[in-house]
Amino acid sequence: MAIKTYDVVIVGSGPSGGTLAAHLAAAGASVAIVEGGPKINTRTDFNTHGMPFDFPNRHIPTMKVGKPGFDSERTRGVGGKSMTWNAVAWRYSERDFQGKTHDGAGENWPFHYKDIEPYYTKIEREVGVCGNRDGLEDLPDGEFLPPVPMKCSDLIVKRGAAKLGVKVIHVRKSTLSRPRAGRPACHFCGNCMAGCDVVAKYNSADVHILPAMKSGRLDVFHDSIVREVMVSNRNRVTGVKYLHRGTKAEGEVLGKTVVVSCACVQSVALLMMSKSRLYPDGLANSSGQLGKHFIPHFTGGVQCFLNELKGKPALNDEGFLDHAYVPSFMHNRKRDYARSFAMQFNYQNRRAVGWARDLPGFGKAYKDSVVERYPAFLTFSPYGEMLPHAKTFLSLDPLAKDAYGLPLARRTVTWSENDMKIFRAMNEWSKEILLAAGAEIHAVGEEPRTNHELGGCRMGADPKTSILNQWCQSHDVKNLFVVDGSVFPSASEKNPTHTMMALAARTADYIANGLKKGEL
Amino acid sequence: MAERRDTLKIIGAIGTTCAFPFSSDELYGQQQHEHAAPPQALAVENAKPSFFKDDEFETVRRLAEAIIPGAIAAAVPYYIDMVVNGSAQWKKLFREGLTWLDAQSQSKYAKPFRELQEPNKIELLTPLCAMADRSTKPASQIEVRFFKAFKGMTADGFFTSKIGLVDTLGYRGNTVLSEFPSCEG
Repeated sequence: MAIKTYDVVIVGSGPSGGTLAAHLAAAGASVAIVEGGPKINTRTDFNTHGMPFDFPNRHIPTMKVGKPGFDSERTRGVGGKSMTWNAVAWRYSERDFQGKTHDGAGENWPFHYKDIEPYYTKIEREVGVCGNRDGLEDLPDGEFLPPVPMKCSDLIVKRGAAKLGVKVIHVRKSTLSRPRAGRPACHFCGNCMAGCDVVAKYNSADVHILPAMKSGRLDVFHDSIVREVMVSNRNRVTGVKYLHRGTKAEGEVLGKTVVVSCACVQSVALLMMSKSRLYPDGLANSSGQLGKHFIPHFTGGVQCFLNELKGKPALNDEGFLDHAYVPSFMHNRKRDYARSFAMQFNYQNRRAVGWARDLPGFGKAYKDSVVERYPAFLTFSPYGEMLPHAKTFLSLDPLAKDAYGLPLARRTVTWSENDMKIFRAMNEWSKEILLAAGAEIHAVGEEPRTNHELGGCRMGADPKTSILNQWCQSHDVKNLFVVDGSVFPSASEKNPTHTMMALAARTADYIANGLKKGEL
Repeated sequence: MAERRDTLKIIGAIGTTCAFPFSSDELYGQQQHEHAAPPQALAVENAKPSFFKDDEFETVRRLAEAIIPGAIAAAVPYYIDMVVNGSAQWKKLFREGLTWLDAQSQSKYAKPFRELQEPNKIELLTPLCAMADRSTKPASQIEVRFFKAFKGMTADGFFTSKIGLVDTLGYRGNTVLSEFPSCEG
């Protein structure tokens, strides 16, 4: 029996892999997704509406008892991180793509905003993004569903920020504010990141992968942990080798093209693990650049209590977590660092009261002070852009292995002077805005923390300093592609997933055309 | 994991561990059961604690109630027992901390902490709590580290209980709303 050779084999099923699979299947290609985790029923398998006191240790586990997935460090499961993301969806601006041209720092993307603009629109029409058209130069508008109202606390922050000339806008999310295409509108239960059981929030499994499977052109190999992308002596990838998550049995899926989309760090690790005669230092790494230019976002943070809300009744305002946003405002202000930051805030879940530990005192007075502050608690976290530098990179751990005998990925992060200047500035600005809004500052994050992982397998025009061309296609191996956060040459300060999905749609077009013309 | 950074913390009750900047700072109890514990109630009143001896547990009950009135009714002592039982370091610290507390109480009032009257408890705990509140890095004195952890576990246990979260703080979320309420009206 001949083994099927797919037109496209995609490693990973998150927002990038799922978008690619759906778009390629719609274009007539035969597609296989190979996903390391199990298949999940979004409607029944998550502890979406859990309360802490339902569990003896008070931690609400992601999955219900006996349902595997999403409790591992690698977020394995069909749908990937889109199952538990917060759905914030920004378009990057021309300045984000061409930042080096503006301030000389970092690296430009190998294309411009106008090249990806149609794909942002395509994704917005396809999955539904709510938001307001704000007309900001650095945050392009799109085709949005109506925005969701701001919380009372957002409006207090907005008034404070306005005193400093800082704008607060409606957040934009891939969550439905109106019913659409068989999906209901959000019901504001505040559990977006615990698996949205009604799929009001976009996830790739329900919105992209399941419909594409119905077309008959997409097969999903779940519970299949890819350990190697195979390359022939004629310098073409031929498919992937995997280990079954349960039995550890080996298997292969063959394809005319392979797309690696298993999330930034794991994609880089997979290429590094795929050593061969042609590529002894990792697949598609003739430049030696693989793992370099790792540029995760980093966050600061301030926790506070809004004086205006102290002692008021607690509101049912978990909503869909954050409803408002402080877009980047430093690009046009005088500063002593390159790039900038933006601020997500008020996303706290009111079932989380960890801050209470750090209020002073004990006894009735202590308890009363927690009760008074509870309705007024607010979290603020600015996101900064990291510039690529030599001391922040990805590598494989030379010793440590996972349960499958595969080497663990290692993140080496060293804060540069520019990073620390941004970090201090964004924490300072956060405090200023909150004080202007009338807040009691509770705690300030003392050190930056990495968040959205980006870079390590970047696109670029020059094969000596990048791994991929502008189509996310390997410079070295023409039928190999990588699409996820790892390909970003610069990070912006904006949440990245919407851009990954637009990039996936753009790459899907390129692959579909290449297959039709027989060029791949 | 006896030593935790005590600067910024958010309880990981939203069920995620990586997306938001503070969420890796977890509930004390979270470390004991990384993977889905079966949904069952905490031990109810009069159940036998897993770790603490009877006298110790009586002290734990009195101390928790002194930190947050209502802690006993919210089964906080059993939460603390469960958390401490899961870690050798917590066990050591808590045993030493409780011993210190009784020694202190004996030398000042000639009886163990669990038999103290309210004013004496307050007198004994006030300076200790002040030291623990001031310490942002792990303190060197055992009793300060003990009290800080004890207060943290008491707060976690109480404010994540139904009595604490719903009845005391007035939590009203986790519901289905047809639209998000505007703040204007």
